[in-house]
Amino acid sequence: MEQIIANGLYLGAQYALIALGLTLIFALMNVLNFAHGQMYVIGGFVTYTVYAQLELPFVVALFASAITLAVVGALIEKFLFRPVIKKSVREESTMLLAAGIAFFLDAVILLVFGEKQRGVPKIVNGLFNYDNYTLVMPYDKILVGFLAILSITTFILYMQYSKTGRAMRALAQDKIAAQLMGVNVERYSMIGFALGAMLAGVVGGLLVSITGVNLGMGGPTSIKAFMMVMIGGAGVISGAIAGGFILGMMESVGLTVLAAYGDITYLAIFISLMIFLAFRPQGLMGKPWG
Amino acid sequence: MMLKRNQIIGVGFFLFVIFVAVPWLIHVSGRWDFYYTLTSVALLSIASGGVWLTFYIGRINIGQGAFALTGGYVAAILVVKYDVSFWLTIPIAGLFCAAVAVIIGLPILRLRGVYFAMITLVLTEVARLTALALPITNGAKGISSIPLPGELSILGLTLIPDFSTVANVKLAFYYLAAVLMVLCFAGLYRLVNSRIGHLCRSLQQNEELASSIGVNTAYLRVIAFAISSFLGGVSGAIFMAISRSIYPASFPVKDSVDFMLNCFLGGLGYVFGPMLGTFMIYFGWDVLFTTGKYQLLIYSAILILLILTLPNGVLSLRIFNKRGTAK
Amino acid sequence: MSALLEVKGLTKRFGGLTAVNDVSFDVHEKEILSVIGPNGAGKSTLFKLISSFLPSSSGEVLFKGQRISNLAPHIVARKGVVRTFQETTIFKSMSVRDNVIISHHLRSQASLAGYFLGTKTALADEEEFGRSADEIVEFLNLGEIRNELASNLPQGHLRALGIAIGLATNPSVLLMDEPFAGMNHDETMRTVELVRGVRDRGVTVLLVEHDMPAVMKISDRIVVINFGEKIAEGIPSEIQENEKVIEAYLGSEDDEIGM
Repeated sequence: MEQIIANGLYLGAQYALIALGLTLIFALMNVLNFAHGQMYVIGGFVTYTVYAQLELPFVVALFASAITLAVVGALIEKFLFRPVIKKSVREESTMLLAAGIAFFLDAVILLVFGEKQRGVPKIVNGLFNYDNYTLVMPYDKILVGFLAILSITTFILYMQYSKTGRAMRALAQDKIAAQLMGVNVERYSMIGFALGAMLAGVVGGLLVSITGVNLGMGGPTSIKAFMMVMIGGAGVISGAIAGGFILGMMESVGLTVLAAYGDITYLAIFISLMIFLAFRPQGLMGKPWG
Repeated sequence: MMLKRNQIIGVGFFLFVIFVAVPWLIHVSGRWDFYYTLTSVALLSIASGGVWLTFYIGRINIGQGAFALTGGYVAAILVVKYDVSFWLTIPIAGLFCAAVAVIIGLPILRLRGVYFAMITLVLTEVARLTALALPITNGAKGISSIPLPGELSILGLTLIPDFSTVANVKLAFYYLAAVLMVLCFAGLYRLVNSRIGHLCRSLQQNEELASSIGVNTAYLRVIAFAISSFLGGVSGAIFMAISRSIYPASFPVKDSVDFMLNCFLGGLGYVFGPMLGTFMIYFGWDVLFTTGKYQLLIYSAILILLILTLPNGVLSLRIFNKRGTAK
Repeated sequence: MSALLEVKGLTKRFGGLTAVNDVSFDVHEKEILSVIGPNGAGKSTLFKLISSFLPSSSGEVLFKGQRISNLAPHIVARKGVVRTFQETTIFKSMSVRDNVIISHHLRSQASLAGYFLGTKTALADEEEFGRSADEIVEFLNLGEIRNELASNLPQGHLRALGIAIGLATNPSVLLMDEPFAGMNHDETMRTVELVRGVRDRGVTVLLVEHDMPAVMKISDRIVVINFGEKIAEGIPSEIQENEKVIEAYLGSEDDEIGM
């Protein structure tokens, strides 16, 4: 039991961080970033390159992932989403563009990093053993979980108290009102997109130390992120965090309890999600819409 | 059904091309591999036609891969494990998918816009994971060495010969796919131009108003989604028969996204759009095969450029606008 | 006179806020009854409750003695209680005539499969809908623009189209959502005539409105609400002299009483 909860919290912290980036972009620009999983994979590969190949410290590698993705995100917003949002008449266009970008990033990953599964040396060794194996957790997982929670806290504080964070929250709440108050929509959309992409990169960098990284992880990661956002409610920060932890916990429980019946955890999660959405289409914390 | 004279000529020409001219050209040129390409285009456009119908009621459907996969597995399991005739499994696979669509559709069709898109995309991935997990689908190994379709006869009269006895299996599958494609799009055309099509458009344009004039919007949405999934299942079942195998990875997320792209590229307002879109995308992808590892890069770059220059779809080009409303 | 539509103790709470509180009144057959009230009085919530576009917290709406509140909107429409919307709610990418034809849905005899196969009943339906749509379009003076795309229409015509859509469903009661909003005097007077015409076709009209002169001119009876509660009910001349009503309107910031 303790083990399931610990695993759930560990997974949940990672997931919440992924969902935060996705939901931030959605809230600011009403764009569903299909390429979020690919951004996560790039983050993983950058950390792999810097930490395992160039043999620089892990922290440096994490920063490299964060900065790379922030730049990629900013460029994508400025040169791709901005012009399309300006010209298009229906929301599907941005969705298509996001799908195209996901394919494109997949192709780039293939060309630059190849299709092999990559792992890095353990960042810390050893095993945390509580009460004679009722709860076992490798130290590197604990460290990664801790770093993820630290990042989430930093993000929330940043959104709450910094000038940029407040501007972005105003923008997410009401674009026109924010504009009237003098918020520079283009500037903060770009910062928001960069920040969202950066979060994906940070998780990728963190997780490469545990699970490694490979080309095929992008799509499934995006899909998990969508599920979290639907559970918590799209475009709401608290919802993304709740969604992340709930999915992490469900996955952890499912993998233990349902193991006997084969790997049907995600089928079970999907069915519960459908039933949940039938009663609460806007998710846990989302505002009613439509 | 009243058809204008030039419509009859157009349809006649189209039928002539796919049933006479194409086989003849392939025979003359000796490019037998084109049969596989064109068969695939026909089957994929059936699945895309379904996606198009869900677009027509105003829902972005990125879940067709799930239904194609389900249809493929249903047919494969029936043929291999229960020795059911392949010809019977086509409608069964379709109906099974339609039934699944009704069950899933009742809750999720209440969602709109990106929310519906997200959950259908999730559905695609869940279908793959389920196929991996269930004992009956045989996990990652999938089901392979599936026998070719047998004979179809009614009262001793052979309608379709046993595929293992025909001289040219590729041609046989091509004809099968082409006939089904024609039936599918004739059906969709009729649907869209009947009152049902108008009702679908009323949903697409304003669901609140539609329900205020007494349209049972939930019912109509589920019907459209079920038809869509039926087409997905049929297409999956035949794909299974051609490749004689089915795996969890047979219809990945990229396929679901492609079905959606086919509709966009061909045009959402025009019944035959998905057919055109599938043709363009499939051939484009095939041509790019020669670029080797740059295939996906070039493909996605073209896609992005296309959206940048024509954010409202290829059909926003003036030449298409004249006939943009499926009339 | 018998009550066709009965509103009984209708209440709607949003969280801690009571938007509509215990409102009751009757609508008689073939009358024009208006619900008025200052801005924010709960008119539009009440309207949505009666047309079942919002579920009520308590109370009920009866049509011919049958409960219609909290049913799906399309079932309420099927029973004969149909609402109109303000101008933006139309089928934008259809022609005026197609808007009206599609709205004949409730008069369909054929099934969906029948329409697909083109059965005799279906063909007869189509012909009848076309004929009836032409008649309705003429009745609302939209004949000249029947083939225009609805999204190209000016505001005044849109309002008429909204009424046409409502009429096409062959309603017993037509609920109209602010039919005179945003109109100048001439347009208002023309629309007043249209609404009278609708009543003369045998349709009972319940309208929610802001524009006092129009309401005074058109209504058989008036119900006044303020802060979600009914404060008066009666014929226009009674309402005009009602202390509570005058107070409510003078107390409100925008003084549109115009009497």
